[in-house]
Formats: sequence, C-alpha cells, structure tokens
Amino acid sequence: MASSATPSKSVASYNTDLPNIPSAAVRFPAVRSYEQVDREIGGTLRPTLGWFAALGTAVLCMLIGATAWTYQIHEGLGAAGYQPPVMWGVYIVTFVFWVGIGHAGTLISAILYLFRAGFRTSIYRVSEAMTVFAVMTAGLFPILHLGRPWKFFYLIPYPNWRLIWPNPKSPLVWDVFAILTYLTISSTFLYVGLIPDIAILRDREKNPIRKAIFAQLALGWRNSDREWRHFTRAYLFLAAFATPLVLSVHSVVSFDFAMALAPGWHATIFPPYFVAGAIFSGIGMVFTIAIPLRKAFKLEHYITLNDLDAAAKLCLFTSSVVGLAYLTEFQVAWMSGNPFEQNYFWNRVFGQWAWAAWIMLLCNCVLPLSLWSQKLRRNPLWLFILSLFINLGMWFERFVIVVPSLSHEFEPWQWGTYRPTFVDYSILLGSFGWFFMWFLLFIKQLPVMAMSEVKEIIPPRMRLAHAGLEHDLTEGTVYPDDTGAPH
Amino acid sequence: MQGVLGAFHELDAAVHAIEELKKERVGDITVFTPTPRHELEHVMAHPPSKVRVYTLVFGLLGVTFGYWIPVWISDYWPIVVGGKAIASWVPFTILGFEVMVLIGGLMTVYAMFGLAHVPRLTTTVGYDPRFSGGHFGVWVVTDADRMDDAMSILRKHGAEEVRRDR
Repeated sequence: MASSATPSKSVASYNTDLPNIPSAAVRFPAVRSYEQVDREIGGTLRPTLGWFAALGTAVLCMLIGATAWTYQIHEGLGAAGYQPPVMWGVYIVTFVFWVGIGHAGTLISAILYLFRAGFRTSIYRVSEAMTVFAVMTAGLFPILHLGRPWKFFYLIPYPNWRLIWPNPKSPLVWDVFAILTYLTISSTFLYVGLIPDIAILRDREKNPIRKAIFAQLALGWRNSDREWRHFTRAYLFLAAFATPLVLSVHSVVSFDFAMALAPGWHATIFPPYFVAGAIFSGIGMVFTIAIPLRKAFKLEHYITLNDLDAAAKLCLFTSSVVGLAYLTEFQVAWMSGNPFEQNYFWNRVFGQWAWAAWIMLLCNCVLPLSLWSQKLRRNPLWLFILSLFINLGMWFERFVIVVPSLSHEFEPWQWGTYRPTFVDYSILLGSFGWFFMWFLLFIKQLPVMAMSEVKEIIPPRMRLAHAGLEHDLTEGTVYPDDTGAPH
Repeated sequence: MQGVLGAFHELDAAVHAIEELKKERVGDITVFTPTPRHELEHVMAHPPSKVRVYTLVFGLLGVTFGYWIPVWISDYWPIVVGGKAIASWVPFTILGFEVMVLIGGLMTVYAMFGLAHVPRLTTTVGYDPRFSGGHFGVWVVTDADRMDDAMSILRKHGAEEVRRDR
C-alpha cells in the first residue's frame, strides 16, 4: 500500500483528512473496517443458553397472561376488578403505557434521523423493533378490555349488513386509525431499513435454509447505486411522514381522555403532556433493553458511553417536560376556580391515590434529576436501574390519570374505588412476556444494529489519499473514548 | 446481458476507475457499495430520485380519501346532535392526516421498489456477495469488442478481481 501521507496522530487530524465523515474516529474508535462490522454485529445472531432462558421466561409469562384472559372470557369482565364508577382500569392504563413505549422508537429512528443526531445510529434498530412490538402489545388491550373480544372489528369502518357505522367524531375511532397507521408505518420503516442488512446476512450465510429465507426477505437487494439512490430518498420521506405521526398518535390517545368531561381529564395540556411522557417512557425502555444487549453482545464499542450520555440528556429533558406538565396541571386546577377540579387534584396527591401519585413523582421527576451528573449519565448500571424506575413511574402516571378521575367525579355519591384482581396482574405480566418474546426472537434472527448505517460512519478503505489512516488505525491509536473519559 | 465486473477494496480506486470508464464511454456502469457514499454518487452523477413525486401525489390522494371516508359515513348514517354539523371538518382532520401518512408512506416504499427494480429475482449476474461486505463493485455492460478495454481500465485502477460475466 502506498504510504506517502504522514500517519495522523490525533482525532483532529483524522477529521481534517477525511471530508464527508467528520466524526468517524470519535463515534466508533474501535471499529476499523466494514468486515469487522459484519463479523461483530452478524455474530450476535448465534443463540446462547442465556437467550433460551430469557425466551423461556418470556413465554411462561405470556402463557400466564393467556390463561388469565381465557378465565376472563369465561367469567366476564367482572373478573378484572371493574366496578362502578371505575370501568377503565389496568387494561387501559397498560394500553396507554405500551403505546407510549412505542413512541421512542420512531422518535429515535425518524426524528433524530432528520436532525442528523449521531448517537441514533447505534440504538435505532433496537428502538424501532421495540416500537413495533410495543404497539402490537398495546393493540391487544382494547380487545382485552372488550367483554366480547371477538367483536373488535366493529370499530373498523366498512359497510356491513347491519348498517352500523363507527362514529368518526369519536376519539375511539380516531385511535383505531392512528394506531393502525402507526403500526403499519413503523413496521414498514423497520423492514425497509432492514433490507440492506438482510442482504448482508444473505451473502454471509452458510446454512442453505436460512440463506433462502434471507434471500426472500432481502428482495434481491444488491447494493447498487440505483437501489441506494431511491432507498435514501424513500427513507428520508418515510422519516418525514413518521415524525408528525409520532406527535399525532399519542395526541390522539390523549383525546380519549381530554374529550371527556371528567375532572382531571378535560384539559388542553393533554396532547403535549402525553407526547412528552411517551417519549420519556420510550427512552426509559430503550435503556432497559439496550444496556443489557450492549453487555451481552459485547457491543460496548458500538453503543458507546457517548451514545448513552446523549440519550440520557434526552431522557432528562423529557423528564423535565413531564415534570412541568404535572405542575401545570396543578396550577390550572388551582387557578380555575373550579371546585371539582381542585378537589380532584387535592385527592390525587393527598387523598385516596396519594401512594400512586408519589410513586409517579418520585420515579419520573425526582430520580431522573440524577442525570444532571455527567458521571451518572455515563454509568450504564445506573442508567439501567433508573430506566426500571422510569418504566414503573410511567405506568403509574397512566394509572394516576385513568383511575382517580373515574373514582372521584363530580358528586360524592359517584365516588368509589378500584382494586385490580389477579386477572389484571396476570395479564399485565403476560403483556411483558408477549413483548419480550417477540423482541428476543427478533434479536436472534436479525441484526440489532443497522450494519449498513454503521458502515456509513466508518472510514472506507482508501488506496492513495488516506493511506496514513489505514496504517495508524491498525497500530491501535488510543482515542479519548477508549478510556471512557468524556469529551 | 454481458459485461465486465471489477471488485475493489478501496473506495478511491473504484471512483477513479468509474471516472475513466465514463470518459472512455465503454458501456453502462452500475456500482455496488456496502453503504451509500457521496463520492460514488458524485462520480455517477445520476439525476435526483423521483420517489418524491410519488410521495407528494399519493400523500395528497391519501388526505383526500381520509377526509372522504368520515364525510361519507356521516352523510350515509347521520348522527344528529343538536347544533353540530353532521360532517365536522375539524375532527375529520385527524382521519385525513392519518390516511395521508398511511397511503403516502406505503406508496413511497412501493415507488422506491419500482424505481430501484426491487424485488429482483436473481442477483447472480454482475454481482458478488463481497459487495454487501467490504468491497466496492463496478459492473460495466458492454459489447464483446469493448470488454478488453473495460477490463484493462479496471485492472489499471487496482481492481482486486476482474471477470467477464453474462
């Protein structure tokens, strides 16, 4: 190899040497070639004992949920702990929770793509898959909530012989449109992004059966300039469509509440409040999933501390927005002069549901304040623990929204309580089992990281102009990120 | 279809080979790259993708259809509520928007498939599995009498392997 260029010694000189890839050496300093990307990320597809154990646990949880649902279908909805006036309970709470989880995926894959946020590359595939499986999970809950789940198709607008039409002015019909669109576009976005990576797997695979499956899924993708030219445009436009879709879906979910006249629900703050909460909870779940994956698959040099740091800042920001929304709700109630609203919010924090509200405030507003510390933002163990609290806190946020409003409406004779039963808890557990079952199956069949996008950041092998780079990288220069130090 | 296929391990070598092949007008060139590279985009100098036209047209059709569904439903089976319009444009905007995204998004992908000639039934001619890994490929479709020219240009610029394919 010609080596007339002087070998560079610093990140800065690499950056000036390599137009078009301004931060390659900073983003993935330990990733040096396209072949390494294929080998390491492709290598995550081999099943391990730990994976089988995790999959078995997820399937067991799912079966517990399925059994509880069968029991509920036999016994009726009373088995789920519903009693007047609280006729929306754990199922609606969990529905909103899972739709919220599904939001970070599209935020990370679409919105951060449009904003060219670098840390997106290593975590967006995980987030997109999470989105699809979370929305699939959420979609089960309105059906579970129906006493007769086999009639779920009544919500779909098509001319039928009974001449019964859904009411297009109802938020529940908006929900059907919004969530089905979101599921379709998210799945399409995930699949389109996967095509070049499936082509890599097709070309590397030795097993003829898997190779044939990958060949079908890759649709004959060849990495030609024609394919990339249209692919990059289509991906951009899909991202542009998906961005307002993210904002619209949880706004529509919030209308399920905001369009009703119950105290605590009928507020114009709900759409932004729900969207911020959804993104916050989704990022929490990304940490819950990505941090163990990073460790188990030895991908620390792809999902770097810088990436976690950047995602943690986003988490802190959305936590602050959510905290502000909580305070604004109280302020609006205080200044409204409406005794029902004031009484409801007083009851939320000091009355019947104080325990749930304080869990919510602690997990969503107080603990995330730790992310002001850069040391904690760069501590994967703390981020993982915090993410579990965020998941818990965001489930309780939805509980605090749904249940107290229904249990404490206008007149004292309407007031009541709600106590979930083992059926609710089992189905809640089953939903986690269902979600993680799909996710675990995904990570062993398809790459958890976008190989072709990671390659976009890696400096390509050059023959003449950057011969010094090749030399220096193989020598193993130490970069700031190798030491884990912030920069 | 017959031609010459060159496999390069270095990006700049592939770019220089394409520059010379274009200059000599040896034949139609297709380049394979593991990841999109601006260098290759510039040297190939293709016009912008027409995907955006499909996105716009089907997005507009989608929003029209998305408004039409609830208006038609409301008109066909009116739910009369005192003082409220039967076809209410404001809430129907939600359905209009969602259907716009659905149809516009899906048709963007179908347009991409159509324009990129995907799905493709075979990848055997003018392709090598290395092109999804770490190599750049240059496939030149040319007449039998220009094949030697193409091969010598590819070799001159450092192709790791050059072969005829059909």
